[in-house]
Amino acid sequence: MYEIFPHTADVGLRVKSPDLNSLFAESAKGFFSLIISNLHDVAPRTSVEFHIKGHDLAYLLADWLSELLFTFESRRLLLSQFDVAVGPDGLDARAQGETADETRHVLDHEIKAVTYHRLRVEQVNSDWLAEVIMDI
Amino acid sequence: MVAERYEGPLEQVTPYCWRIPKSYKPGMLVDGLIFANEKLMELIRQDPAPEQVANVAFLPGIQYASLAMPDIHWGYGFPIGGVCATDPTEGGVISPGGVGYDINCGVRLMRSNLFFKDVQPHLESLVHELFRNIPTGVGRGGKYHFSHGDLQNLMECGPQALKERGLADERDIRFTEAHGRLDGAKPDYVSSRALDRGYDQCGSLGAGNHFMEVQVVERICDDESARVMGLQQNMVCVMIHSGSRGLGYQVCDDALRALRNVPQQYGIELPDRQLVCAPVNSPAGESYLGAMRAAANFAWCNRQLLMWQAREVFEKVFGRSWHELGLELVYDVAHNIAKFEEHVIDGKKKHVWVHRKGATRAFPPHHPEIPSEYSEIGQPVLIPGDMGRASWVLVGQTASMEQTFGSACHGAGRVLSRHAAVRKAQGRRIDQELRAQGIVACGRSWKGLAEEQPDAYKDVDIIVDVVDKAGLAKKIARMRPIGVIKG
Repeated sequence: MYEIFPHTADVGLRVKSPDLNSLFAESAKGFFSLIISNLHDVAPRTSVEFHIKGHDLAYLLADWLSELLFTFESRRLLLSQFDVAVGPDGLDARAQGETADETRHVLDHEIKAVTYHRLRVEQVNSDWLAEVIMDI
Repeated sequence: MVAERYEGPLEQVTPYCWRIPKSYKPGMLVDGLIFANEKLMELIRQDPAPEQVANVAFLPGIQYASLAMPDIHWGYGFPIGGVCATDPTEGGVISPGGVGYDINCGVRLMRSNLFFKDVQPHLESLVHELFRNIPTGVGRGGKYHFSHGDLQNLMECGPQALKERGLADERDIRFTEAHGRLDGAKPDYVSSRALDRGYDQCGSLGAGNHFMEVQVVERICDDESARVMGLQQNMVCVMIHSGSRGLGYQVCDDALRALRNVPQQYGIELPDRQLVCAPVNSPAGESYLGAMRAAANFAWCNRQLLMWQAREVFEKVFGRSWHELGLELVYDVAHNIAKFEEHVIDGKKKHVWVHRKGATRAFPPHHPEIPSEYSEIGQPVLIPGDMGRASWVLVGQTASMEQTFGSACHGAGRVLSRHAAVRKAQGRRIDQELRAQGIVACGRSWKGLAEEQPDAYKDVDIIVDVVDKAGLAKKIARMRPIGVIKG
């Protein structure tokens, strides 16, 4: 489950999930929901694999979202479905989506970057919680 | 999460300056100073921006104070509107967060010899032609595609490289801060990822708060300075606000990643990960500076190409060449940048790295770094407001050198989050409201215009009034928007 929280100039993303894999998958969905307002209209036509190394979960989240941003900016690829496996040394993921088509996709925000300001990934009681602020 | 109110100390020093004493937090090396009036201070306390002013005071080698301009608001790491100077000979650091992701985001102003009465009958078609011809919007590139080799040249030489292609003239370069070229740029330090993001984005506006506006000189406050800048009442001008696009964002992102463990290596303790930094005189610091300068030069090329495309549109709409239309650059100034400058600190001349994160250079008359034509009046300081009210042209004043390392504000500063602005706009058509005020606005989405509506910003008149009264920069002309294009 993800929600957008306000920041004076930029936009924050808060995600809550029962496990780390779904936390990272939901974060990715929340991230693309900022780029495109009709994410449900993105069809799973293309598949992309990601392998990201890292031990610090907060930086791993920032690196994961930054990788998705680069994929969108360099290939105009919108991704909407994610299968993520987080391990002790990083993550492996498979994402599906399609090339942006402005006749069908309503592009919303240009995300400049994923910031480290108040970046957190923590276990809270039985859930995992992530917060990250994007520079718009 | 609702932005928490700042509850720390703020002591009034003058009617336009407030201090956060360095005793506020262990680790602060200098005081924080915020330039504002009482009314603005109440707004500024409502988010964590003053806390960020205090956090910047932790940076090693920081001189005099961690400063904030009256348009300060909550950023990430540094506040937006923050200024700090570090001395490399005292272990001073360079912090990519003190420049921001949008390296050399800035503003340029182009004047014309057209007046409101000449343009009004063509305004609708002029704005629509600008919107059709100038690339705007999320991740959008433009008509100029550069090979990696060409990009290297743009990053090394700035708009001088465009002059060789007939896309800039000598005067354009002369009236750009630093002549559009920071020496020491190292295009080789810019990653291939940054090049992939930027290769088709030179000459594109982007989205968010970036814009191109057709403006009218509504009021002149200083006849002589306005005359020197070629500005007259009711004259039509074009203001452009954009930066280094994906290339610059990626340079900053790459640097933050490379610097993650560097503060630890040098025993630097920081209160926020986004403040990561490296000593200026270190391989990591030099590497960032080389790439940052390259991205800054690229940003000047971007604004040059945006202006060039605007000239082409004016030529088409008015059927005369841009030379005949007098479409000449008044000035171009950066407001997200770090520059190595000479300043007098505690009575001694020092060379320091001035970080301006959402702050505009405001050098006074006779400063050697401003064009000789402006030597008697001071450097033009261009302050965009919001798309419904006004923007301003000021000139730098002597007190800026004494109080803010030659800096002034950079805009109005947001007062509503994007979320709150959209909520406030529910059921309204911002473009129609602007039209009722005589402003033709074109945006790629309703939401984009809603997020950038005038109510989302503080009143720029109040911001520049503080800057003027504090002696940082002097008001010259108030500009009224009549046409706006947004991403």
